[in-house]
Amino acid sequence: MAYVSMGEAHRRITEYLNRFCGAVSYQDSPMLCRLLSFSSNSPSLLSLADALNVFQDASILIRQSDKFSEYGEILAHLFRSLQSYRFGNLVEAYLAFEKFANAFVQEFRNWESAWALEALYVVCYEIRILAEKADKELTSNGKSPEKLKAAGSLLMKVFGVLAGKGPKRVGALYVTCQLFKTYFKLGTVNLCRSVIRSIETARIFDYEEFPRRDKVTYMYYTGRLEVFNENFPAADTKLSYALQHCNPKRERNIRMILKYLIPVKLSLGIIPKDELLQKYNLHEYMNVVQALRKGDLRLLRHALQEHEDRFLRSGVYLVLEKLELQVYQRLMKKIYIIQKLSDPARAHQLKLEVIAKALRWLEIDMDLDEVECIMTILIYKNLVKGYLAHKSKVVVLSKQDPFPKLNGKPVGS
Amino acid sequence: MSLLSPSSSVLSIDFESPFVAPYPCFYILLFISFLCVCWFYSFLFCIDLKSCSTFTIPIRFSPPEPRRRRGESPEGVYVYDRMNQGGNTQTVAPLDPNSIEKRYGVDGSQVQISPYQYSIGSDGSSWTAHTVVDNQVVQNGNYSNSNYYHPPQPTVPNVQETPDNAPFTISSTASGTANVAQDYSGYTPYQTSANPPQNYSNTGYSNYYSGYQQQQQQPSQSGAYQNTGAPYQPISSFQNPGSYPAATASYSGTYYNPPDYQTNGGYQTTNYNNQSAGGCYPSANYSNQTNTPNQGNYTANPYQNYTPDAANTYSSTVSTTTPVHYQQNYQQWPAYYSQTEVPCAPGTEKLSATSAVSQSFPVPGVTNETPASNVQPAPSYAQPWRQETNLSQPSSQQPAAAVSASNDAYWKHQTPNQQAHYPVPPQNHYQSPLETKPLYETPFQGHQRATYPQGMNSQSSVHQAPLGYRQPTQTTPSVDAQRVSKVQIPTNPRIASNFPSGYTKMDKGSSAAGLTQSPAYVSVSMPKPKGHATAVPEPGTLPKSLCGFVERAFARCKDDKEKASCQAALKKVITEARDDGSLHTRDWDTEPLSTVLNTDMTNTESSSTLISSLQNKSPTKRPKSRWEPFVEKPFVKSALTFSSGVKFGGWNQQNQNNKKSFESFQKADAVTDSKPTYSWQNSKPAYAWQNSAKKSFQRPVKRQRFSGGAANAIDDEASSDSDKDSTPSAMSFATSAEETKRRDSRSKRFEKVQGHSRRNDIPKPMNVGNLHSRRGTALRLGEDFDESGCRSVEDIDWNALTVKGTCQEIEKRYFRLTSAPDPSAVRPEDVLEKALLMVQDSQKNYLYKCDQLKSIRQDLTVQRIHNHLTVKVYETHARLALEAGDLPEYNQCLSQLKILYAEGIEGCSLEFAAYSLLYITLHSNNNRELLSSMSRLSKEAKKDEAVRHALSVRGAVTSGNYVMFFRLYKTAPNMNSFLMDLYVEKMRYKAVTFMSRSCRPTIPVSYIAQVLGFTNTLSEGTGEKETNGVEVCSEWLKAHGASLIADSNGDMLLDTKVSTTNLFMPEPEDAVAHGDKNLDVNDFFTRTS
Repeated sequence: MAYVSMGEAHRRITEYLNRFCGAVSYQDSPMLCRLLSFSSNSPSLLSLADALNVFQDASILIRQSDKFSEYGEILAHLFRSLQSYRFGNLVEAYLAFEKFANAFVQEFRNWESAWALEALYVVCYEIRILAEKADKELTSNGKSPEKLKAAGSLLMKVFGVLAGKGPKRVGALYVTCQLFKTYFKLGTVNLCRSVIRSIETARIFDYEEFPRRDKVTYMYYTGRLEVFNENFPAADTKLSYALQHCNPKRERNIRMILKYLIPVKLSLGIIPKDELLQKYNLHEYMNVVQALRKGDLRLLRHALQEHEDRFLRSGVYLVLEKLELQVYQRLMKKIYIIQKLSDPARAHQLKLEVIAKALRWLEIDMDLDEVECIMTILIYKNLVKGYLAHKSKVVVLSKQDPFPKLNGKPVGS
Repeated sequence: MSLLSPSSSVLSIDFESPFVAPYPCFYILLFISFLCVCWFYSFLFCIDLKSCSTFTIPIRFSPPEPRRRRGESPEGVYVYDRMNQGGNTQTVAPLDPNSIEKRYGVDGSQVQISPYQYSIGSDGSSWTAHTVVDNQVVQNGNYSNSNYYHPPQPTVPNVQETPDNAPFTISSTASGTANVAQDYSGYTPYQTSANPPQNYSNTGYSNYYSGYQQQQQQPSQSGAYQNTGAPYQPISSFQNPGSYPAATASYSGTYYNPPDYQTNGGYQTTNYNNQSAGGCYPSANYSNQTNTPNQGNYTANPYQNYTPDAANTYSSTVSTTTPVHYQQNYQQWPAYYSQTEVPCAPGTEKLSATSAVSQSFPVPGVTNETPASNVQPAPSYAQPWRQETNLSQPSSQQPAAAVSASNDAYWKHQTPNQQAHYPVPPQNHYQSPLETKPLYETPFQGHQRATYPQGMNSQSSVHQAPLGYRQPTQTTPSVDAQRVSKVQIPTNPRIASNFPSGYTKMDKGSSAAGLTQSPAYVSVSMPKPKGHATAVPEPGTLPKSLCGFVERAFARCKDDKEKASCQAALKKVITEARDDGSLHTRDWDTEPLSTVLNTDMTNTESSSTLISSLQNKSPTKRPKSRWEPFVEKPFVKSALTFSSGVKFGGWNQQNQNNKKSFESFQKADAVTDSKPTYSWQNSKPAYAWQNSAKKSFQRPVKRQRFSGGAANAIDDEASSDSDKDSTPSAMSFATSAEETKRRDSRSKRFEKVQGHSRRNDIPKPMNVGNLHSRRGTALRLGEDFDESGCRSVEDIDWNALTVKGTCQEIEKRYFRLTSAPDPSAVRPEDVLEKALLMVQDSQKNYLYKCDQLKSIRQDLTVQRIHNHLTVKVYETHARLALEAGDLPEYNQCLSQLKILYAEGIEGCSLEFAAYSLLYITLHSNNNRELLSSMSRLSKEAKKDEAVRHALSVRGAVTSGNYVMFFRLYKTAPNMNSFLMDLYVEKMRYKAVTFMSRSCRPTIPVSYIAQVLGFTNTLSEGTGEKETNGVEVCSEWLKAHGASLIADSNGDMLLDTKVSTTNLFMPEPEDAVAHGDKNLDVNDFFTRTS
């Protein structure tokens, strides 16, 4: 830490105070954002932090002038937070920042126009990031991480400030997205519901009027929620919306969306091209897609096992697992086609024995009972048209379109 | 009417007629054989113990008798009881004169009188129930000591109040004489060898101790008694096991289970006393005396049955090698041992605890000293103390020595006269409660039983005493004691299962944490002795306790001025006391210093009133008792032992707005966790006693509760608590008992609402009797916690406040706490372990087990025990709940288990991981939850058989693979199949809908039966089972709307096309109004009651 003389420190602090008050009085949102964004690690903020360390009692400076002391509470907490942040004491920094945020939101509430929305966004973002960092610190110290939870409740408060009518409403979606991020990280996804309700049921504000980035984020998260619920058509719509509106240059974001969209599409019977997977580096889906194409049950199982942890963490494991039925369907279709080649007249009769043999080739050992069970399920789920003659152990396929395509409908519908 | 009949024979006849005509003879024979065996053993013991031999013999005699009593034939029991009593009396009689004269010659008469007064006083007070008990007690005393303690008989007036009592007295005398002859035969030789005086004193002690213990035990005993009397024996046995594992063991062997049960209870309680005694005895001077007291206990115990135990105890007292003796005894008398062992085990535990306590106290050396001080030769300060303690009761005594029990013992030693006298009256009192219950059915039996339990207690106490004694002095001794206990346990095969865990625990506790627990014991024993002591004091001399009182008073004076005023006040108080003759009867140890210090006027008045009649439960008195302990604090500190009494004292001060005292008190708490326990034990006996009283005279008590003053209220509360504890017996007893229980619990709730006001009142009841005070202390403890909590929740050191249970009952009904837990109703860890074993071995239905496990869980939670035992309890309960399909309970357990596993406590975490996986997949159907729990599984976990099974079940369920599902169902490890059970219906329905939709035209039912697990094994396609399975399957299919047709061969086929549209999930046929088909309606009512 570079040595800062007392005078220099005094100068820097006073300058910051002047800029802050200027930004507020001129409603200069970008300037305010710059003054608040800790995580940018901007040199001006860092030097201010050094100055604050030298000049221990900054509150004296704040109290010196009326225009400073007007925002005294905000600034005092901000300074303290910055100081702790500079020292790497993140928990302290978070606590001070939380107080600052409360004061700032209170002030924001008093401002009639929404000029400071951007600054509020910065505050919301910073508090979430700080909370995550503080939690990391807490965990490494063996304490229970709880700051993110606190940040969540503070964000909820901010959401309450914005969710009403008026120009500030535009900011609600940003806060919602920050809340989503918080809740997904915390694993308390069910808390999203109330926020979603207030966003989607409010007729006074058209969704399209929200900023695009917020819309995409929002759709991404709600789409993920639908994946959890295995509501594939809805998930498809939301994730597709996110994909369409996502900035094409943000490949990372697109990849994140695709990570969920691909399993959803797969379970709707839509198979992506390999180029897509390669382009966005989604190799874990390669084998899954391949298995679906080939009807290779073994490959699917291997792929699932190989990436089990990843799929479980992202929450698509169960979705992918359900692709098994489609793989069976593909397998039956293959058998059917082969039979058709040899004996077209009797091709529509699939002997269970034959299916069992095919499975055995795939190194999957199943007895006839189990094969029958699988076929029963396939027929029941409408993946295979026809019926099963139990007595003769034969699946009699319908002459017309024995293997209907899903065509964007989920299995079993 | 039979009760009224003067002669025991008449009584016995009456009883016989209803129940067992043929048994008596048989029992007699049994008894005789037992006696022979006892003799034989006694010889062995004599050799071992030598000095103890005389004592051992009588004791041995008694054991067989109890059995017979238990043996369901009341008649037989009667006879034996008489015999025993008589024997006791006889033995006592010869010994008594000597012992009394030698030791306490002068006091004898006085003492006797005092007890009477005491009892009368209690009678006079609104405590009808208590009074009855007292009367009985007195009578009992007469019985045992008939030759000796004629004075008690005068108290008969009390007896008159309750017809039952009268018969008792009569019978006792008669039986006593009759029995005497027999006893003599057995005893005489031994007696000669033994020291008569000692025996006598011992008897007195034992009675005393036993009395305490008995009170505690009473509830259980009563239950047992009832059981024996009625067809409910099975139930009783059931309950008994719960409370006393050992008892259960004995059950299996003989019908005596109920008695065993009782005895067990007695033992445990006795342990306290014994310990205390042990503590006292440590002092070398009284080693002889100590031995004698122990012996005395035995002799005193009408129940020769316990002789083996007594011998054990005896030996222990005599020599440090006691452990060995114990073992021998036990082995010889397996049946008895089982009973005795139980007590021993508790006793050992207690002992260890006591020892631990002493050790736990800042200065182990100090603890040792305290016992010594207790002993007559004790240090200068100690002696004054003791006298004081006699008067003051627990508080003062406790400070002196962590072990109040020891104090009691000391006192006896210190003032031989007092001791001698005391033992008898106290015994009488205590015993009486027990007896009263038995009296209901058969007065005689009741007596005998009561005595027998007492005897048990005494024995146990003896055992413990030696142990405890040694322990205080030496750190290692405690270990030995434990070992001994352990050794003993193995000997009893039945008991063994229960014991091992308990013993080990005991060891642990004694060595490590046990210390804290022990204090409780001590305190318990203390209070009672005090009460007796008050009665005893000699006229001529100033009671030592008074000296202590004066000392304390002066110690509290800050300056000369205060001293002067204090002196004047003291003078006044003492002269007053002398004038009204309460100088010696007064409990100076508990006498509030406030009398002398600030609140002179009111206090003196109250004190005088108190003195005049111990019965008076004036509120002031209570506070005083509390005060006293407080005053004694300095002493305590010096001694390094904090007793509950001290705490209480602090409390009282609090009440009187003495913040300082309160704070100091709190500090004391922080210093020693054991304090709570102290209070507990104290309270315990009292409350047990109350229970017994309550049971016998529930209605009056209740009336008192509601209409009566605050003083009554507390007692009632305590009694209600005890009732709770004793519920098992009550339950077994049938609806009436059940009813009373329910009523009690209801009224208890009501009381709880009034909790605060009552707390203030508590002091009053405390003074009423030592017993009461104990109970009160326990209550206060709880209240203390409450209050402190109210004051500043954040500042509380919760660790210091964590309840340390003292309840020794193994079986306890679950009762949702409506107030701060009462330590006397909470079982310590070792007992809980036994309780868990009991539940695991129990053959009872799930409802019972669930109830027991919930109470165990509650006790664990209340004591903040988080260890392997906690995990074991929750695992056990989760498994049982699964087995019974009790998902709510299972979920509770599982969520707790997750926390416990997360804390790193070892357990069957993989097994339960599998359960939770299954539960989520099959019941909660929450994908996110499933994902997260799957992602939490480690690689190792996935290799576990149960987890793998659960995972494949999940796969089968998500894919709808019913064939796989039912295969997995049949190969499920652990309890997985129980969870799958709950999904079987759904899976079958799903499968049938699949099949009927997909298959055409028909499916044979036999195939469905096979695939859907209606038949037992897949390969098993032949024989009855298949046809059975097919029938069940077709029934099931029909119930679900499937249409079945028969083919040409007569085989049933499922018509799939028709069925497809007709399938439905039927309403569960076995649905019941109360929602749980697994719950029998009657069980449901008992649960909701």
